[in-house]
Amino acid sequence: MEYLIAIFIGLLYGCGVFLVLRRSLVKVILGIFLLSNATNLIIFLSGGITRGGTPIIEEGAEAADIATISDPIPQALILTAIVIGLGMSAYILALKYRYFDVTGTHDLDQLKNTDQK
Amino acid sequence: MILFTLILLPFTYLMLSLLITNTQVKKLLALIFATVNLAWVVMVLVRVSTEEMLVVNMGSWPAPYGITLAADRFSAFMLVIAAFVFLLVSYYSSQSIDRERRNNGHFFYSFGILMGVNGSFIAGDIFNLYVWFEVMLISSFILMGLGGERKQLEGSIKYLILNLIGSMFFLAGIGLLYGKVGTLNMADIASRISLAGDNFAALNPALILIVVGFSIKGALFPFFFWLPASYHTPPPAVTALFAGLLTKVGIYSLIRIFTLFLFHDYAFWSNVVFWMGGLSMVVGVIAASAQMELRKILAFHIISQSGYMAIALGFFTEAGIAAAIFFTAHNMLSKTNAFLVAGWVHRERGTLNLKILGDMFQRSPLWGVLFFISAFSLAGLPPLSGFFGKFMVLKAGVESRHILISMVALFVGLITLFSMVKIWLEVFWKLPPSEKVRTMTYKVKPSGRMLAASTIMACAIIAMGLFANSIGNYCTLAARDLLNPQKYISYVLENK
Repeated sequence: MEYLIAIFIGLLYGCGVFLVLRRSLVKVILGIFLLSNATNLIIFLSGGITRGGTPIIEEGAEAADIATISDPIPQALILTAIVIGLGMSAYILALKYRYFDVTGTHDLDQLKNTDQK
Repeated sequence: MILFTLILLPFTYLMLSLLITNTQVKKLLALIFATVNLAWVVMVLVRVSTEEMLVVNMGSWPAPYGITLAADRFSAFMLVIAAFVFLLVSYYSSQSIDRERRNNGHFFYSFGILMGVNGSFIAGDIFNLYVWFEVMLISSFILMGLGGERKQLEGSIKYLILNLIGSMFFLAGIGLLYGKVGTLNMADIASRISLAGDNFAALNPALILIVVGFSIKGALFPFFFWLPASYHTPPPAVTALFAGLLTKVGIYSLIRIFTLFLFHDYAFWSNVVFWMGGLSMVVGVIAASAQMELRKILAFHIISQSGYMAIALGFFTEAGIAAAIFFTAHNMLSKTNAFLVAGWVHRERGTLNLKILGDMFQRSPLWGVLFFISAFSLAGLPPLSGFFGKFMVLKAGVESRHILISMVALFVGLITLFSMVKIWLEVFWKLPPSEKVRTMTYKVKPSGRMLAASTIMACAIIAMGLFANSIGNYCTLAARDLLNPQKYISYVLENK
C-alpha cells in the first residue's frame, strides 16, 4: 500500500510540475492545486500508514497498543494544510478572475509588462 | 502569557477593525496598537536579558506534545527591530497610502503580516512555524494585490505562485522530517538528532526541502526570482514593509534551524550556505547595477544582502553568528528607509525611472540627506550601521580562515557603493534630462508624516552605528546561546 501511494504521489507531482510549466494561467493554478495535494499525501504517508483504530486509550488500560492505533498527528497536520490550501485556492482564483477582467488574457507570456525591457 | 500577547495584540486589532467602519479611527487604532506592540516587545527583550529565555506551552500541554512558544535573545532582538520597523512604516503609510486602499483594509492586512512575523519569531514548533509563515504570506499576497492595478496584478501572480511553491517545499520537508524523527517540536527534534549520532545523513532529504523553502522566502540564490519580479509593483510603503520584514523571517528561520539541526553535518551544510550566500551576493549586486528603476535596484540589493547574512551564518563561529544577527537588524532598518525615500520620490514625481528623474536634492535637501544615510549605510560607509555590519562579517570570515568568501564580500560592497552612487547621481543630483520635464510644475502633496517616519528611521541607523559596540555585545550573547543548542533544548523540554 505504501508503494502504491508513493507512486501515486510521484505521479501527482509530475502532473503538477507539468501543469505549472504551461503557458496558460488556469493550468498553472491547477498545477499548484495538484502539488499541494501531493504534499498533503506526503505528510500522510510519512506518518506511516497502519490500518488501525482510533488513538484513544481504553478506559482502565495503562497504555494503548501501538500496533493497533494510527498516528493522529499527520492527520491533524493535513487538516491544517488543507484548510490553508483552501484559503489560498480561493484567493488565487479570485486573483486570476480579476486579472482576466483587467487584461482579457490568461497567457503567462503577457505577464512581462513589468519586467525589465 | 507575555509571549502569547504578541499574537493576541495584532489579532485584537484585526477583530476591532472589522467592527469599526470609520477609516480615521481605524488608522489611529493601528498606530496605537503598533506602539503598544513595540512597548511589549521591548518588555520581552528586557525579560529575556534577565531570564535568558521565555518559554510558554500553549494550553498547558507539556513541551514535546503541545505547541511551544519560545523566545531567546535572538528572537527578542528580531522582534524589537521588526516592531520598530512596523510602527514607522505604519506611520508613514498613514499618509502615503491613498484613501481608497486604506478604506479597503490596508492596515488590516499589514497587521496580518505583523501577526505572522511575531508568530514566526517565537514559534518553537516547526509546523507552527509553517502556519505563521502562511499567515504572513496570505496577508502579503492580499496587500500586494490590493488596489488591483494592472502591474500590481501581474506582480502578485508571480509572487503568489512562486511563494506557494516555496511553502510546499517547506511543508513536504516537515512531513518527511516528522516521518524520520517522530516529533515536531524543534527542541525535541534537535535533542533526538544529537542522540542519533552518525545517522544524520538520513535526515538530509527532508532538511534540504526545508532549506529550499526558507531560501525561497529569504530570496537566496537560486530561488530569488519572485522578489525582483514583484517588489516594484505595489505602493512603495507596502514594498518598504515587505523589504523590512518578510525576507528576514526566511533568514531568521534559516539561522534557527542551522544552529539547531544542520550544524551536525557542518561539512555538507556550510558548503551549501556558502555557495548560496556567495552567489546571492554576486548575482544580486551585478543584476542591480544593470537596472534603471529605483525600486528594482533596491530589490536586487535585498538579494545581495541576504547573501551576507547567509555567509556569516556559514562561518559558524560566535563572531560569525553575531555578525549575521547584527547585519540582519541593520539591513531591516537601512533597506526599509531606502524604500521609504523611494516612496517620497514616487509621490513627488509619479515615477521611479532613473532616466526621467533628476534634481530631487534641490526639491528637498532633507530627503536627500535621508537617502544618503540609508544608501551609504547599505554600502557600508563608516559611522553608519552598515559599516559595522560588514566589518563584523569580514572579521568573522578572516578569523575563521574563509579568506576567499570574505574577499568576495568586500568586492560586492564596492559594487553596492557603485549602485548607490548611481541612484544618488541620477535621482538627486543631475539636472532633469529634458527641458519639458524641467519646466513641468508638480502638485505639492503634503508629506510631513512620511518625513517624520523616515527621519526617525535614519536616526536609528546612525544610533545603531554609534552604539555598535553594545549592540554587538548583545548579538554576541545571542550567538553564544545559538551555538549552545543544549541550552535551548533544556529550557524548552525541561522548562527549567
